[in-house]
Amino acid sequence: MKSLYLTFHVYLAFARKSFQKQMQYRVANLAGLTTNFFFLLVQVFVYIAFYKASTEPQPLSIDDIITYFVLCQASLMLMPLWGGREIADTIKNGSVALQLTKPVDFQTYWFVDECGRAYYYLFMRGLPTFLISNLFFTVTIPQQPSVLLAFAVSMVLAIFMSAAITITIFSTAFWTLDTTGISGIAASVITFFSGMLVPIALWPEWLAHIAGWLPFGGLIDIPFSIYLGKLAGIEIWIAIGKQTAWCLFFMGFGRVLLSRGFSRLVIQGG
Amino acid sequence: MIEVNDLSKDFKVYHHRKGFFGSFVNLFSRKHRIVQAVDKVSFTVARGEIVGYLGPNGAGKSTTIKMLTGILVPSSGSVTVNGYIPHRQRKENAKHIGVVFGQRSHLWFDLPVQESFELLQRIYRIPEAEYRQNVEVFEELLNLGDFFRTPVRQLSLGQRMRADIAAALLHNPDVLFLDEPTIGLDVVAKARIRQFIQRINTERQVTVVLTTHDLDDVEKLCKRVILIDNARLRFDGELTALRRLLSTERLLSVDYAEAYPDVSIPNADIVYQEGARVQYRFSPEEISAADLIGTILKKFRIVDVSIQEPDIEDLIKTVYEDNLTLERKLAEPLSPDI
Ligand SMILES: Nc1ncnc2c1ncn2[C@@H]1O[C@H](COP(=O)(O)OP(=O)(O)OP(=O)(O)O)[C@@H](O)[C@H]1O
Ligand SMILES: [Mg+2]
Repeated sequence: MKSLYLTFHVYLAFARKSFQKQMQYRVANLAGLTTNFFFLLVQVFVYIAFYKASTEPQPLSIDDIITYFVLCQASLMLMPLWGGREIADTIKNGSVALQLTKPVDFQTYWFVDECGRAYYYLFMRGLPTFLISNLFFTVTIPQQPSVLLAFAVSMVLAIFMSAAITITIFSTAFWTLDTTGISGIAASVITFFSGMLVPIALWPEWLAHIAGWLPFGGLIDIPFSIYLGKLAGIEIWIAIGKQTAWCLFFMGFGRVLLSRGFSRLVIQGG
Repeated sequence: MIEVNDLSKDFKVYHHRKGFFGSFVNLFSRKHRIVQAVDKVSFTVARGEIVGYLGPNGAGKSTTIKMLTGILVPSSGSVTVNGYIPHRQRKENAKHIGVVFGQRSHLWFDLPVQESFELLQRIYRIPEAEYRQNVEVFEELLNLGDFFRTPVRQLSLGQRMRADIAAALLHNPDVLFLDEPTIGLDVVAKARIRQFIQRINTERQVTVVLTTHDLDDVEKLCKRVILIDNARLRFDGELTALRRLLSTERLLSVDYAEAYPDVSIPNADIVYQEGARVQYRFSPEEISAADLIGTILKKFRIVDVSIQEPDIEDLIKTVYEDNLTLERKLAEPLSPDI
């Protein structure tokens, strides 16, 4: 038990350091904040124009849409592949081997590193984006504590899943020295199927059905649908269960890839 | 402390075809050649020794160190460090060794040195008192104070290397592996690092295995050297023994009291003569230095004599270049004190 606590302590320290690391790039963050806000404006105006032009009833009200995109921009940096370059870089330049001389578990190490980063962006990018947006738009805030709680849980799972996906994708650097191809494709697929560009609620049914079978809705669609009160009761539990399952899947898959990668490294020397 | 038996490592180097079609073929073809990086190397290192592991570029030094630190799995043969098999008991082994690769830093690039150290304290679970004491000692011996709070990416090479070496020793490892710890450093920085290694070795009985291309490092630090060339072990023994083994010739400089017309001595060649100063070349196998000086003293009056040992740089160069000679010499039975 004590050993478990100490281990937890080590990785907590890693997460904190990761947070601190990001602190060094405050100016970049400020620039990013401006960009986020600019994109938010564009998205919102496009949808307002679209809603004005359409006469049919839509599954999401214009206030829902605005809130949805505010949340998307606020959590943009928590999405997969924004971090994790370090993983690909250390694998590519071979310094990943040095980590073998330390008594740590890499996946856990990288995982908490990603979580520390996400935590930073949650407070330093997400929160400001959310607050500033409140000055310009009407952003709805759930009134029921149970909804807020479910949203919080779902958001944490989304962050975990994002970290696990990032590690999995960048660990392909063990085999292909150039990860820009695969990470580019993954980024497009994730951006689309998470519902980041167009909320899945507005998709044609057949496409929404496909999205339902894919993991990426767990990053955006599920937490924000919970936030907007579009899921209720048992639906929330099912959605969170789905997120958890995909989260475990990516952690497991990433673990297998990494251990393959490392055994290749220690046998072939990279 | 370290036992290495018939240790070998060969790498498969795949033949890469260029271009789009080529990379497609690469997926299926397994054409490769084998590079023998380490070939049946055996040695043991006792606790508290400092061993210089030397050899020319590409000899297999780093590959050996990687097998000793668990970064590479041997192709055949066995390794134990501290009783652990590094590649099987990676984490256990890691707790008892310190590693520095001069070409790469182990520290967190974005973090100040101090915070990297604090992370290491957590990783190795170093008790607070021990940690504080070590940091204090290393800070003083390596002058870390000036840059202790600077992010690693802003450090000069010399500063980074000092920080890296201190980092490798924070958890009081039993064995320290140093792969080119003085590469690219200036004279002062090198001297400081050597002193530090020396001190850690004597005070804490840390076993040190060191690779370097700087023979001053070897001369100052290592009593024992292991030479490898082309993946094979070429010499394992004391530096003085290597000297004796290889140096067939030595130089004797003599300052005579006056300029004698004929200063020739049997069994010694005159290299140059300038007034009262004469330099002889002699072979210890034909005449010992003592006999030579005795003979000179019987004939002439002298002011000063000195014997020059050949440079170890030259010695080692002989090993690399003239490998037949050494092979023959090693084949001869060595005297017991070697
Ligand atoms: N991962 C690898 N794949 C293929 N060949 C390798 C690999 N690592 C090393 N080699 C080869 O093994 C041989 C030994 O390399 P090693 O790095 O051990 O040399 P070294 O003695 O450390 O040399 P240097 O003094 O230049 O550092 C070289 O021929 C090198 O090209
Ligand atoms: Mg090397």
